[in-house]
Amino acid sequence: METALKLKNEDYGGELIQLVSFNLEKEEYGINVLMVREIIRMLNITRVPNTPHYVEGVINLRGKVIPIISLRRKFDLMEAEYDKRTRIMVMEVVGELMGFIVDEVSEVIRISEKEIQPPPPVVSSGIEQECMSGVINQADRLLVLLDLERMFSADERRMFSNVA
Amino acid sequence: MSIDCEDQELLEGFLAETTELLEKLDDDLISLEKNPEDADLMNRIFRSIHTVKGASSFLGFDLLVKVTHKTEDVLNRLRKGELTLCPEIMDVVLEAVDLVKTLVSDIKAGEIVDRDLEEVVAKLIPFLSESATEATVLAPVFASLKEESAPAAPATASDATAAPASTPAQETAAAAKQTAPATQPKAPKVKEPQKAAAKGEELADNSTVRVDVKRLDDLMNQVGELVLERNRMIQLHSDYQSGLDPAGFNDDFGKLSKRLNFVTSELQMQVLKMRMLPVEKVFKKFPRIVRNLARDLGKEVDLVIMGEETELDRSVVDEIGDPLIHLIRNALDHGLETPEQRLEAGKGRTGTVVLSAAHEGNQIVISIKDDGRGIDPERVSRKAIEKGLITEEQLVTMSTREVLDLLFLPGFSTKEQATDLSGRGVGMDVVRTNIRKLNGIIEIKNEVGKGSEFILKLPLTLAIIQSLLVEVEREVYSIPLASVIETMRVNKDEFHMIGGQEVLKLRDSVLPLLRLQRTFGCEETTADRSTCYVVIVGVAEKRVGLIVTRLLGQQEVAIKSLGKFLANLPGIGGSTIMGDGRVALIVDPMGLISGGEAAGARKSA
Repeated sequence: METALKLKNEDYGGELIQLVSFNLEKEEYGINVLMVREIIRMLNITRVPNTPHYVEGVINLRGKVIPIISLRRKFDLMEAEYDKRTRIMVMEVVGELMGFIVDEVSEVIRISEKEIQPPPPVVSSGIEQECMSGVINQADRLLVLLDLERMFSADERRMFSNVA
Repeated sequence: MSIDCEDQELLEGFLAETTELLEKLDDDLISLEKNPEDADLMNRIFRSIHTVKGASSFLGFDLLVKVTHKTEDVLNRLRKGELTLCPEIMDVVLEAVDLVKTLVSDIKAGEIVDRDLEEVVAKLIPFLSESATEATVLAPVFASLKEESAPAAPATASDATAAPASTPAQETAAAAKQTAPATQPKAPKVKEPQKAAAKGEELADNSTVRVDVKRLDDLMNQVGELVLERNRMIQLHSDYQSGLDPAGFNDDFGKLSKRLNFVTSELQMQVLKMRMLPVEKVFKKFPRIVRNLARDLGKEVDLVIMGEETELDRSVVDEIGDPLIHLIRNALDHGLETPEQRLEAGKGRTGTVVLSAAHEGNQIVISIKDDGRGIDPERVSRKAIEKGLITEEQLVTMSTREVLDLLFLPGFSTKEQATDLSGRGVGMDVVRTNIRKLNGIIEIKNEVGKGSEFILKLPLTLAIIQSLLVEVEREVYSIPLASVIETMRVNKDEFHMIGGQEVLKLRDSVLPLLRLQRTFGCEETTADRSTCYVVIVGVAEKRVGLIVTRLLGQQEVAIKSLGKFLANLPGIGGSTIMGDGRVALIVDPMGLISGGEAAGARKSA
């Protein structure tokens, strides 16, 4: 009896982290809340020529011009029309502000670090393996934890600034 | 050895003051050489050196004291008329001043390097001996000292004392002894480039600004006005919300926005002014450079400087130094003839180089003009073919202006042999690169036999620019007005194709065209219309016509960076925010043109 209780405590112990969860093509993703600067509605996006296909363009965020990336295109998902639930999540990635277009932002959830499981070895949805830092398996939902810093590999960053 | 100074403030004050004095000193010395009789100038030079000496001895910079003390002594003799000024003395004094500069920059860097002072001090000492009343008498002694001291150290000492007729004082002998060990380890030639590099750094050191208190006060005033207008705006809004006088709102709002417009543009001017520096900061070093070059080349040159009070943005000031040095060097080396050649050509012995700066609208125009032999287009084209930069066929199709543009190709040089001064074919390439970086334009005016003029047109500032807004298939782009030469409405039948390149016949020249819609991959939305607009842009010496759908007008825009992820996009220089809050991209004509070149090269390969 005692040992079982201990185990349970350990299960839910560890550090609590807060995640912002959002939807993309009916799947749920999570991102550490500390990465997210703000969440805004869709704005007028100015297309920037000669950029990688997932760069949607740039927007004016209160006087600062920041690049916008379509996560759908980045993950090779089907294109979708923007609707009233579409949001831009403004995040700080490697010291630079960037916006990411997602289908819908749902909530902020708290989980303990213990709940995060390593990502499964094969991913079918086309999300590049390296930017998935884990999976959270709760009773009624499955959350994919993203690490955007890892999304832009050193190679890609170089490509961004040179070839583009 | 690091600097141990108790009072940092004192040290900073000393550095600021000394740097200022030294900058002025160079100028004054050159003027003194031209007017040796000017007692006021002499006294001023003497005072500057004396001040530097006093301050450095107070702070305990012994090396500085030593050099300045000897220099002061020489100047003192000049002042009293015991010595007459001649180029040899001036050379030595200038060298001493250079050494002082090096020492000061060492102190500035926080690290006192144990530099070899003896060489310079030894050169100063001969002028201090009692017998050296006439510099001309002394010159040969000095020359022999210089030549012989390096190879045979012990011999020179005795030689120097025995040989010259002017019976030098003991000091001279001592000097010779000192010179010998000093010169042996390093050849003087090697030192030159180091010195130049040090000077370049000095100029770039611009991390703090000195602002006129009056300008600050003005700025505060403007900000006060801005606050007033803001309060007015808040008032207006609450009036409107409470439903009072909705009819008058329109009127009041119109007035308010007019006033706001006025205040902000004033404010903008004030802030810009604070970033402004007189171009004198760059021009100041040229008399010295010209003097040295002219002496090295055996030419007689009058440098005329005009408009040095013209102000421009500090970022521009930092960038134009190098191109100007190259252009002036070229004017002296290639442009001007030797005195003999000039007399033969029926000109005065002394050549003139005019360096001028002036404002012209929103641009600053800097020109370097010489009255030398001018550029011979034939010689240029022959050289270009010899160097394999162009082919015979290409040459045939070139206009005179295009031939002159060859000067800017990297690797181009008319010199058979590279010398210390020129001939490696780098100089003009540097000029072009820097001017391009600043979004400037280069023009060449040339008259064979009479001289040539290089005109640089630069934007006043790099933070806020005048731009031409254009529409390319429903997307708005902004083109820096500084690089726009003209715009025109053209019928599509007027375009021609030459070697896969669309061109337009414009008066007497052929203009290559670039379809922005294609370059930027915009979706074609409008049906093919028969007319479109061509914006002719110039970068450095190149011209190209950009095809756009519509011209929207001129606007002053603030440049915003696209961030490091989207840096270095070909043809895009940045972005700006429009009145409606949207982002418009700023076209970078330089990138477009060089990108086009690369594409052309790929096509032909």
